[in-house]
Amino acid sequence: MTELEKQFQTPMVNLLLSIADDKLFLGHRNSDWTGIAPILEADIAFSSLAQDDIAHASAIYQLIHTLTGEDPDQIAFHRTECAYLCADIVTKSDDFNWASAIARQFYCNTFDFLRLQRLGESSWVPLSSLAKRLCAEQAIHVDHVHSWIDHLGKGNEDSAARIQTALDTFAPYAAMLFEKPEGLDTLHEADVLADHSDFFTAWISSIETTINNAGLALNIQQSNNKGGRNGVHDADFTLSLSELQEVFSTDPLAAW
Amino acid sequence: MVSTSEIFEVLKTIPDPEMPISITDLGLIEEIILDDTNVLIKLLPTFIGCFALPAIANDIKQKVVELQGIDSVEIEFVHDPPWNTDRITDNGRVSLAEHGISVPDGSSPCCNTGTTDTVELTTSAFTCPWCNSTDTTLTSPFGPTRCKSIHFCNACRQPFERMKKV
Repeated sequence: MTELEKQFQTPMVNLLLSIADDKLFLGHRNSDWTGIAPILEADIAFSSLAQDDIAHASAIYQLIHTLTGEDPDQIAFHRTECAYLCADIVTKSDDFNWASAIARQFYCNTFDFLRLQRLGESSWVPLSSLAKRLCAEQAIHVDHVHSWIDHLGKGNEDSAARIQTALDTFAPYAAMLFEKPEGLDTLHEADVLADHSDFFTAWISSIETTINNAGLALNIQQSNNKGGRNGVHDADFTLSLSELQEVFSTDPLAAW
Repeated sequence: MVSTSEIFEVLKTIPDPEMPISITDLGLIEEIILDDTNVLIKLLPTFIGCFALPAIANDIKQKVVELQGIDSVEIEFVHDPPWNTDRITDNGRVSLAEHGISVPDGSSPCCNTGTTDTVELTTSAFTCPWCNSTDTTLTSPFGPTRCKSIHFCNACRQPFERMKKV
């Protein structure tokens, strides 16, 4: 199917916003490390990850544009806080602690990889073809962050303790990645998207081997709280949003 | 009246801004649609976030509009089919090898398998394009461009680049 029926447009836009907003804000936070990451390769990696994330977001905003006609830049930068549907883990501050940046990246990338893989099976072709393309690139991010978990877990006592603390601190926020944006069930019922009730357990099994092999523990519980995916955000998000909109708001109609 | 093959000949002369290879040898051209004096060229980006895309689009517009009988040139980036290194021509592979850039075969099956070790960056010893040794190590999965990783050959003590499997 290449045309999306009208009744599925709003749920689809919500879903696409939740993906693109995750990537836009995570890319923004990852770019904080440009120039100051602990080693040169990590600096290049985080700058590249940020570049990919923001480019992926842009491609998804472009897809939203095909549904709503809205300008992709306006969608990205010119919404009110409650209209952003990212999970708050993407804007949760790492306080320039490398272990925190890696833990956040680990949870977000592994989740996003599985999400894209599942979207690659959507019956709406414009989504499935884009998701497959993004998924292949995301696999490289996942491979990279898995190796960082391994480095830190097996490094020494200090690095293992730091990454364990960071993984535990970010775990409740990671659980919120699975919150459903409004209308997702409609897409499942209409077979636009297969229902993946095993998503959380599939994700756990995709990450626990790496965690355990690195000598670390995964302490995470499923959550039913309402949060970012329904527009309810915390203070770190508000700060990120104001940073992100700072330049754009000086002249919202400027051509970039 | 211009033909699509004449347009393709022009595209052959346009180098990739970041690689020692033409955009046609890199396999970026998906379709050329000619409507009288207007042409639409559909391109496949190697990586979605490639910085070179706007430069490539500009180069194409400038060169193709110079053709007699062409009034307008539109560029569209499409993702279906996804680009992969199998689209690189033999000619292109020779040029890349001369510059110490190795090229994988096939596309990444990770979207079907759900596992990421298929990207092979941390699981395989790649062949050094300088001396053919397989005693090589990954230096960084992220290199000077979005589509390449950086490796080091322990035999000839030379760094080399490899295009990523996507």
